[in-house]
Amino acid sequence: MRVRADPVVVAGAVLTLALVATAALAPAIAPYDPRALGPPLAPPSGAHLLGTNDIGQDIASQVVWGARSAVTVSLGAALVAVVLGVAVGLGSALVGGAADTVAMRVLDVFLAVPQLPLLVLVAALAGPRQANLVVVIGLLRWPDIARQVRSQARSLRQRGWVSAARGFGGGLGHVARHHLLPALGPVVVTLAVTTVAQTLLVEAGLAFLGLADPTAVSWGLMVNRALRFPGIFFIDAWRWWLLPPGLAISLGVLGFMLLGVGLEPYANPRWRRRSP
Amino acid sequence: MTALLEVRDLAVRYGGEVAALRGLSFTLERGEALAVVGESGSGKSTLALGLAGLVQPPEASGSVRLASEELLGAPPERLRRLRWSTVALALQGAPFNPVTTVGAQIAEPLRVRAGAGRAEAAARSRELAGAVLLDPDLLDRYPHELSGGERRRASLAMALALDPLLVVLDEPTAGLDPETRGELVARIAALARQRGFALVAISHDLPDVAALAPRTLVLYAGEAMEAGPTAAVLGHPAHPYTWGLVNAFPVMSTTKDLRPIRGRPPDPRSVPGGCPFTPRCTQAEEVCRDEHADLRPVGARLVACHFGGLRDLLVARDLERSFTRGGAAVRALAGVSLTVRHGEAVGVVGRSGSGKSTLARIISGHLAPDAGSVEVAGQPLGPSWRAAAGRVRRQAQLVMQDPWDALSPRLRVEALLAEPVDLLGEGSAEDRHRAVADALDAVGLPATGPFLGARVHELSGGQLQRIVLARALLARPRLLVADEPTSMLDASEQARLLVVLRDEQVGRGLGLVYVSHDLAAVRKVVDRIVVLEGGRVVEDGPSRRVATAPRSPAARRLVAAAATLEGLEDLEDLEAGTGPTTAGPPATGWAGSPGPSGAP
Repeated sequence: MRVRADPVVVAGAVLTLALVATAALAPAIAPYDPRALGPPLAPPSGAHLLGTNDIGQDIASQVVWGARSAVTVSLGAALVAVVLGVAVGLGSALVGGAADTVAMRVLDVFLAVPQLPLLVLVAALAGPRQANLVVVIGLLRWPDIARQVRSQARSLRQRGWVSAARGFGGGLGHVARHHLLPALGPVVVTLAVTTVAQTLLVEAGLAFLGLADPTAVSWGLMVNRALRFPGIFFIDAWRWWLLPPGLAISLGVLGFMLLGVGLEPYANPRWRRRSP
Repeated sequence: MTALLEVRDLAVRYGGEVAALRGLSFTLERGEALAVVGESGSGKSTLALGLAGLVQPPEASGSVRLASEELLGAPPERLRRLRWSTVALALQGAPFNPVTTVGAQIAEPLRVRAGAGRAEAAARSRELAGAVLLDPDLLDRYPHELSGGERRRASLAMALALDPLLVVLDEPTAGLDPETRGELVARIAALARQRGFALVAISHDLPDVAALAPRTLVLYAGEAMEAGPTAAVLGHPAHPYTWGLVNAFPVMSTTKDLRPIRGRPPDPRSVPGGCPFTPRCTQAEEVCRDEHADLRPVGARLVACHFGGLRDLLVARDLERSFTRGGAAVRALAGVSLTVRHGEAVGVVGRSGSGKSTLARIISGHLAPDAGSVEVAGQPLGPSWRAAAGRVRRQAQLVMQDPWDALSPRLRVEALLAEPVDLLGEGSAEDRHRAVADALDAVGLPATGPFLGARVHELSGGQLQRIVLARALLARPRLLVADEPTSMLDASEQARLLVVLRDEQVGRGLGLVYVSHDLAAVRKVVDRIVVLEGGRVVEDGPSRRVATAPRSPAARRLVAAAATLEGLEDLEDLEAGTGPTTAGPPATGWAGSPGPSGAP
């Protein structure tokens, strides 16, 4: 495989792995409890590597713990979106007929729904809990995946070997598991990675708008807090309070994006890169 | 008036274990002729002996009544009196005494039984010899001085000596040259008419039988399989065995290769229960193994089959299918019906775009028709994902035209072949592994590690096409649909694949639909040819007829364009001659190979 040799993929993978490792090892890495109070607005020092916020919480610890919430929500939402999208896309392509038509109309409805207002509504009505976010973002992201999977599966279905598998008496499950999923694997992985990146942004965006559990620790919430602090740009605190979470969001999204873009050629055979 | 010969439940068992006849019943009127056909070992000769009272209890049981007299258990004295005068037997081989002349042996019954004098007997012998077309001068010779044909005529003359009521001829023409055979058969038939004797002609030579007797009895493993008017039984066989027998018989007009009945006749020591033909039958079901099939009337004949004879394996009715091509609807099939019997091989030919491939894909369940229906073994073929529909589809396997499309590039040979086996879900892992190895062996591919581990792009087209065939066979279908299976292969690979295809089709008793534009190859493989033109069937007939005397213009064009190497010799002459001549193109406008079918 040439995946390893591709610098884009390598960069994406390094960033992504760093993020996931930080999230997984948060308790070990973070020097303080991210909610514990200390001296307010302390500049970076030996005690507080990135300083503290207005109520004295350690920024470095909050960034580390924020990775955990970012990864949980984005991976969870991506999982929901991929499972739903692949199931509906494959089923729709394989069964065809009326079921396909119905599935595609439902999908159109989902695509037509304005996303941000819906998210705001859900956050406001059902409460800004993480689980709600996972489900809602997942529900908003699956139609795209379903549509792509369906179109690929429909063309795969015309292939002789898929038709032959049906001819041997292979059922829906057999054809999907043994022929379509392996063939769709790269596409699904790429779509999943892109979805994670998008979800990361959406999660941060919602928190930034204040539609997050105020007691939670997340990058979006940190940015939101910092910006709400009156006169943040008049003192030096924005350097250690606002920049780190912003940078974390950018790097996280960048990592998944690079990975997605780097994997694209392997997912889409028509998009083969010219070798240098 | 009672029948001349009445056989009831005649069973003969030699040495207590070899069952030669297993309950045979039939009647024969005076002056009637009956042909008994069957493979070697079917009990034909034992029947001949039984009719002459030469097998007796305890070996024989049942009843053989000749002119109201029971032969089984009759005292030897009585049998001796009946023999020659009432029933005469001309046995297979030459039952002559080597140390006296043939004439003396023909005269012997006349002198001993009819009390004729020497001169009278000799005169009568010469008369008889003349009647069976034997030169009377040959009567003075010893048996070994006569040819086989002459001996056979002499034995016939002997059988007729005392004007018997019933003549039993066992293989009357075996080993004779065709010309003599034809004369002799005509002679026997004429004699039977003149003298009014009843005739039982036992033979495996079907054309002779057809000329000799208006009624035919088909014997298999000591049982009657089919009985009825000869024209019907041999012309349109109803029992799968009769069909196989007729199909195996070489005739001058046959274009395809010889086609044996699969398997072997059963060992008479252990004839299977149920219908004895089950292991070799192409349409056998569970019931055939378990229950005995009795002779039952089917139309004008009797057939011993649970299903009343041959059944249709594939019934496709009024198939229609259109495709959209660049905005315009193209009608690929415009009402095509096709029927294939169990074990039958049908060729579908036509030029590119005639709808052949569309038909192949529809009858194998790979494409849904716009209108019409397809049934395989009585069950409708449909695109449903239900398990039951999958089981129906499995029975009709398509051998696709393009092996690179038919085989997943993702899988290795072993996984490719294991797929249909695993989907069948029968047997242990070891059984499945063996099934895969056997299938590879059957199509002439190695079942070794490196080959099993190979991927599609590492193999040749011929190897891949054979894998496609092996896969289709592993699904244990009843119908094989081969869509231009050799279009990607060179002539040598094509020949190899066709031989494998034919052997497997015969060996497994599969129905075959062979789709191709290559009439020369098709007619080597199939029994019947269907010609498609513009999405319609324009001709449907036995392959020998379509290939030699096509009726439709489309078929005539195909025959005219069929590959031939004969022209090459002329070409050679031309080149050797006086340089370039103005030889025009071939008479047909589009001779040569039209290339792989472009039909969808």
